[in-house]
Amino acid sequence: MAQPTLSRILYVEDDADIREIVRMSLEMLGQFQVAACDSCADALSLIHEFSPDLLLLDVMMPDVDGPATLRALRERVSAESAPAIFITAKVEASDMLRYRDMGVLDVIVKPFDPMVLSGRIEQIWQRHWSSFNDNGG
Amino acid sequence: MNIRRRHKLEYLAAWLLILAFSAWTINLLFNVQNDWAQSNEITRFDQDVHGLLDPWRNLNRPGNDVLENYEVDTQNKALERYIAEYSEARARLEAHRATHVPMADFFAAMDEAAATANDLASRVLRLATEREALRLSEAAPDSIRLVETEAATTMARMDQAFQGGLDLIVKMDESLDRRLLDLDASRRASIGSLYLIVLVALTSSALSLVLLRRTATQGEALRSGAERINAIVNNVVDGIITVDESGNVKSINRTAEHMFGYNAAQIVDRSFTELVAPDRRAQYNEERFRLESADTGREESEYLGRRLDGSEFSMELATTRIKVDGRPLLIYIVRDISERKHAEERLQLAASVFENTTEGILITDPNGVIQSSNPAFTAMTGFTADEVVGENPRILQSGTQSADFYDAMWRSIIETGHWQGEIQNRRKNGEIYPQWLNINAIKNARGQIINYVGVTFDISELKASERIKDEFIATVSHELRTPLTSIHGSLGLLGGGVTGELSDDSARLVRIAQGNCQRLVRLIDDILSIAKIESEKMQFHLQSVAIHDLIGRAIEANQDFGKQYGVHLQARPGAREARVLADMDRLMQVLTNLLSNAVKHSPRGGVVLIGVQRRAGYWRISVVDNGPGIPESFRENIFSKFAQADGSDRRKGGGTGLGLSICKAIMDRLGGRIGFTSERDVRTSFYFELPVMQRQHTASEMVSRSPEPQEPSTWME
Repeated sequence: MAQPTLSRILYVEDDADIREIVRMSLEMLGQFQVAACDSCADALSLIHEFSPDLLLLDVMMPDVDGPATLRALRERVSAESAPAIFITAKVEASDMLRYRDMGVLDVIVKPFDPMVLSGRIEQIWQRHWSSFNDNGG
Repeated sequence: MNIRRRHKLEYLAAWLLILAFSAWTINLLFNVQNDWAQSNEITRFDQDVHGLLDPWRNLNRPGNDVLENYEVDTQNKALERYIAEYSEARARLEAHRATHVPMADFFAAMDEAAATANDLASRVLRLATEREALRLSEAAPDSIRLVETEAATTMARMDQAFQGGLDLIVKMDESLDRRLLDLDASRRASIGSLYLIVLVALTSSALSLVLLRRTATQGEALRSGAERINAIVNNVVDGIITVDESGNVKSINRTAEHMFGYNAAQIVDRSFTELVAPDRRAQYNEERFRLESADTGREESEYLGRRLDGSEFSMELATTRIKVDGRPLLIYIVRDISERKHAEERLQLAASVFENTTEGILITDPNGVIQSSNPAFTAMTGFTADEVVGENPRILQSGTQSADFYDAMWRSIIETGHWQGEIQNRRKNGEIYPQWLNINAIKNARGQIINYVGVTFDISELKASERIKDEFIATVSHELRTPLTSIHGSLGLLGGGVTGELSDDSARLVRIAQGNCQRLVRLIDDILSIAKIESEKMQFHLQSVAIHDLIGRAIEANQDFGKQYGVHLQARPGAREARVLADMDRLMQVLTNLLSNAVKHSPRGGVVLIGVQRRAGYWRISVVDNGPGIPESFRENIFSKFAQADGSDRRKGGGTGLGLSICKAIMDRLGGRIGFTSERDVRTSFYFELPVMQRQHTASEMVSRSPEPQEPSTWME
């Protein structure tokens, strides 16, 4: 299967400042199309219309946290069509195990360097698809 | 005599009684001795009579013709009569030996008569011989007649002598008769009395024997009985005190003396109330009067006793009222029950603890059958004592623990008599809850297990509060990081020229802000990290870690950081087989900290070497730089929190001062140690040591090789 190009990222983050910085970083440095949502509900309302290649999710959010948001989004879009990455400061070993079990591609630790964020995401994307193809996917 | 001997032998005391009768016996002995004396007199009598008669007998012997032609018949007849009389007297004398007839005079007379007889007999014999000689010489008949006449006269005189002797005998016999008559009566009486004496003596002896035996036995019994009673009274653990009707102590045994600290002389004839605590005396008197009004009886009551030194103790008085010689006597059996009281109090305390403690307590027999449980247990589990007694604690099991868990628990209880830990059990309502359980085997004096006691408390709230704490830490972490992320991100974009080129001054200011932002992030990370390590909240995932790989990854992860300082990180060739049992992430954290310090303190252009060496049973991983080294004054506190050599150090390195204390905390948790050697301006080596682990191929080893060079915070598994 030919490796798809990463262009559309659905990003969920409750903190407006961070949301803005990430959006700027991804749009200006990575040339990605970003749908930045402030909540799970916002994301759910956007997902069909936006049709993302990748989900980028904060973990610690009020009401519905990152993992719960991912579960909710997964009812609309599969991991194959839109794999996920968490971007969070909550990176205890036990948290990491939990994220892995949820099938996310990777975790980006906050605080992140906005200058290399796009490159990092691209790198994860590449790795995912190469291993996906290696495994006969 | 036998009896005497027996008495003497058997009963010394009987001897005295027997002595009283021995006078009679001695008297008897004297009689017998008199008898013997009498017998000697008879012998002498015989001798004297023969002395009187023998000269004639020899003269008149048949064949002796000296007295031929002499008229001897008269003499012979007289002799015959004499012998008859003599025999009779002798027989009487013989028959009544014990007559005490005085015979000395008789014997004297007899001796004289016998001497005369002998003399005359000799003269007769000489005259007869002379006559014969004259007749043979045919001397004148006249001279022969003269001799014959003289001989006849002599023989007549001899006859007189015989007659005198006979008279003596008759006289003696008569006196003997009279004496006998006297004696007979007295003798009869004495024989009677002798029998009586013997009878009395025998009876008395027998009686005394019996009496003595009885008295001896009774005496012995009495003596041993009294001694025994004394011994018992003095040695019983209870005090025994007798008190008369006026309330005065009459006797006190040794135990009571010790108990009250008195000796008998100090308390006998004094009021018993002295032995009762002052504020209990009224109660004592009241009860004593009440008891006295009863005939006899027994009552037990508890008092406070008072010792001579004024100290008081709990005592139990068992009062028995008896009558001795018609007078009432109270016997107090006193028992010092302070020990018992203490024991009771302890027991009450234990019972009260059992009932009121907030810990649930479950007691089982050695077979694990529940014997009792306390209210806290009921409050925790919902099971009442009635519902669990007789059951096995298995009824509490939640099913969330494996069989291995219970195996390990029982192994520990059997081997060490103890187990404690967290366990999940099920309440009566089905709810599963965590509890802390402490099980102890209770052994008896012989070391046999008689009970198991489980003390437990519900830790669901504790768990909840721990969760709250964890959440708090996570929240703080999140709340601090979120604005930092924004600041850091904004500064990053600004500094990166995304929003347009900055002036040099602006760019420098943005870099300062960025650096401090990063430092703040590290500070938060370190503080949270050390808080978690120290509260043992940090989970360690132990696995086999290949040191070679660890070093490789640490160098890769920190090489860029080194470049910032113009320092190169380099692995020293070393033991590729080195392995330790540790948490890979934590070791990376330690090594990263050490590398970061080494880089920051190395001169520009310097090299930091990372190596591994085998020490006795340990692998030593060391990070060596050739920086200025650790100042003497700082060495002691180097692993303390917020320890930095000087203020400029902080600005220069941008460290938090927590790195080494985190490293030490991690090493403490892993059972390793951390240390350093420092030679000023030449060589400083920080190292940590962990026990050698035998090489084995494990899945974790394979996993740990998977490289994640750029981002150490991503997947490690």
